[in-house]
Amino acid sequence: MGCCTELYLCKLARQPFSIRKELFMGKIKKKFRYDNVGIFFVLPAFIYMLVFVGYPIIRNIILSFQDVGAGNLVRGAKNFVMFDNYVELMGDKVFTTSLFNTLRYTVLCLVFQFVIGFALALFFNRKFAFAKPIRGILLVPWMIPVTVTALMFKLLFATDIGVINFILRSLHLIGKNIEWLTTPGTAMFALICANVWIGIPFNMILISTGLTTIPKELYESSSIDGANKVQTFMKITLPLLKPTIESVLILGFIYTFKVYDLVYVMTSGGPVNSTHMLSTYSYKLSFEMFKYSKGSAVANVLLVILLIVGVFYIKATTDEEEA
Amino acid sequence: MKKRKITALFMTLAMTAGLLAGCGSSGDAGAAADTTAGDTGAAQEAATPEESADDSAPAEESANDSTGDAQAVTIWYYWETEGHQVALDQVIQDYNASQEQYEVTAKYVPFADFKKQLSIGASADELPDIAILDSPDHASYVAMGIFEDLTGKFDVSNYYEGTVNSCTVDGKLYGVPFGANCLALYYNEDMLNEAGCSVPTTWDELKETAKALTTDSVTGLALCSVQNEEGTFNFVPWLWSTGATSYDINNDNGVRALSFIQSLVEEGVMSKECINWTQGDVMNQFISGNVAMMENGPWQIPTMQSEAPDLNWKVTLIPKDTEYSSVLGGENYAVINGGNVDGALDFLTYATSEEKVKFLMDKFGYISADKTIAESQFEADSPYQPFVEELNYAMPRGPLAEWPSVSDAISLAFNQVITGTATPEDAAAEAQATIDSIMK
Repeated sequence: MGCCTELYLCKLARQPFSIRKELFMGKIKKKFRYDNVGIFFVLPAFIYMLVFVGYPIIRNIILSFQDVGAGNLVRGAKNFVMFDNYVELMGDKVFTTSLFNTLRYTVLCLVFQFVIGFALALFFNRKFAFAKPIRGILLVPWMIPVTVTALMFKLLFATDIGVINFILRSLHLIGKNIEWLTTPGTAMFALICANVWIGIPFNMILISTGLTTIPKELYESSSIDGANKVQTFMKITLPLLKPTIESVLILGFIYTFKVYDLVYVMTSGGPVNSTHMLSTYSYKLSFEMFKYSKGSAVANVLLVILLIVGVFYIKATTDEEEA
Repeated sequence: MKKRKITALFMTLAMTAGLLAGCGSSGDAGAAADTTAGDTGAAQEAATPEESADDSAPAEESANDSTGDAQAVTIWYYWETEGHQVALDQVIQDYNASQEQYEVTAKYVPFADFKKQLSIGASADELPDIAILDSPDHASYVAMGIFEDLTGKFDVSNYYEGTVNSCTVDGKLYGVPFGANCLALYYNEDMLNEAGCSVPTTWDELKETAKALTTDSVTGLALCSVQNEEGTFNFVPWLWSTGATSYDINNDNGVRALSFIQSLVEEGVMSKECINWTQGDVMNQFISGNVAMMENGPWQIPTMQSEAPDLNWKVTLIPKDTEYSSVLGGENYAVINGGNVDGALDFLTYATSEEKVKFLMDKFGYISADKTIAESQFEADSPYQPFVEELNYAMPRGPLAEWPSVSDAISLAFNQVITGTATPEDAAAEAQATIDSIMK
């Protein structure tokens, strides 16, 4: 478009002023028909995005193709090494663990959060005394700062002083304290528990809102037609909630996938790098080990995966509108 | 429909963008806030910190009133202890009152963010004039080229060799040691007497003592074993005591050090939880009576004395394998080039005078990096005195621009043996492979 506009302006310049003005106004009117005025409303947001979102992303992509370390961050040649950083990552055990961890963590968190959140939403959708206040109280985990939650769960899962081991021991379910946060497998379990706890209210509240949009008449007529509870749920609730469910899952995926603070506080990626996520590993490479380019390459892998999910989100939302 | 598509695309971009710069600052702050973390984070921290701001504010005002055009000199530091902040602030106030040309202000940057802020500051050209930083990181920032060459500007001939080495690269001095510390062994004297043990001096004695001290509620020994620089700091004395170096681990000596730590954990005299304990956590466990002996530094003493005045503890050298060994810690002053170098030098000259050093060291629980000051700094029966002796055996980490990567390999190896995810032999071989690839 830029090129066309310039050509047009050149042509315009060669005309006498009166004609110029007329031509120009005509062009403006043609270009910006009534509904195109919207462009001006979008422009501020677009420029903002370009500067504060677009620029860092592009800078980061460029950085990942260079060899920037402590030695040449400020001065010295920044050489382009093309895909060397990415190739190096493929052979990096910690990276592959982080990638696998992030996926495993996200999927497991989403499943539990969603199922429990959904169940609670259905439960609190029924009319009973104090349903609303209790639902409000259940939002508390979502409102607590993540670092606080992380510290809390770190103490809950502590080996010798942790409440969880204490309860399990009192119930004679275990003989010896479980070393939750100091054994690779169980540390991941503890992280997932903490995040599910945080995520349940988010899922619950969005699905609750979705439930209120389903017209009551549908349930009334289905009960007249003799549909049972399961049928009502499968044929009315689920299909009508589809857009809500899609949004909840995709937003949940993005939110969970970029987890940083929870892991950083609870395990810092340990024990023995077993709970590193893409985000924590990227941070460690960049700011603890001064390998800026490699760190940004990890961040870009994270970005690409989230962009793919984002495309699904766009597709899901536009399909809904077209339908 | 198309417009909605575009809006949705923006939304997605905004959400994903958070993780780019966002891997830095804490999570849910969102895209925009994250991308500017370097500046806003810094600004917020400048505004929020320390209790001591109450003290400094009036001084700054009065200085401003009298000298309208004093040049600003800024300092970044990471001490979170209130006593440290107040002491540094006192020196700064005295300095500001003593002359009219410069106006010094200090800013607290949390330790976890300090390296990040310096890196971001370096690439964005937003640095202080003086940084007070952890000595093993010094060489990396020298390599980055942000520090002024101070050769010949300060007399460091009386300083402990290790402290001067930590800020010397290629024979040039790029900093001035702030103060020195090292690690030593703290023991709970009551517990030791009760178990009828004497103070351990060798690894074998240490293990026997730790076993005797371990009960249902007490573990014999604790040392901070987190997998980062703090952990490495606590591991290297054991490694070096065998004769192994930081760069040469895959041999009998290195394996012996790893095996020893592993056996402490396996025999239950050291808790596996240590991998999640910072040095502060270890100290808390010690003063709560959950741990009978710990490896820790002298900066814990003021807190221990105020939090647990009745606890009967003493300090001794870290038991040895073949030779006594400890690790040198502490901070260095560095002057940023391109900043207000003259002002920075003027303040440093003031702050490194004997009187000011003595004042700072006393308040900090540090040992002066200046040998002559250090030797007369404490009474013979002071709990600090063993640290002065230990300092003779203390070696610095690095100095090496790639030290953070070497450090990561070392702390990983120790974490592997503590958690039992690798044998000492495998852990040593893996660490060596990583180190060789860095040093090649």
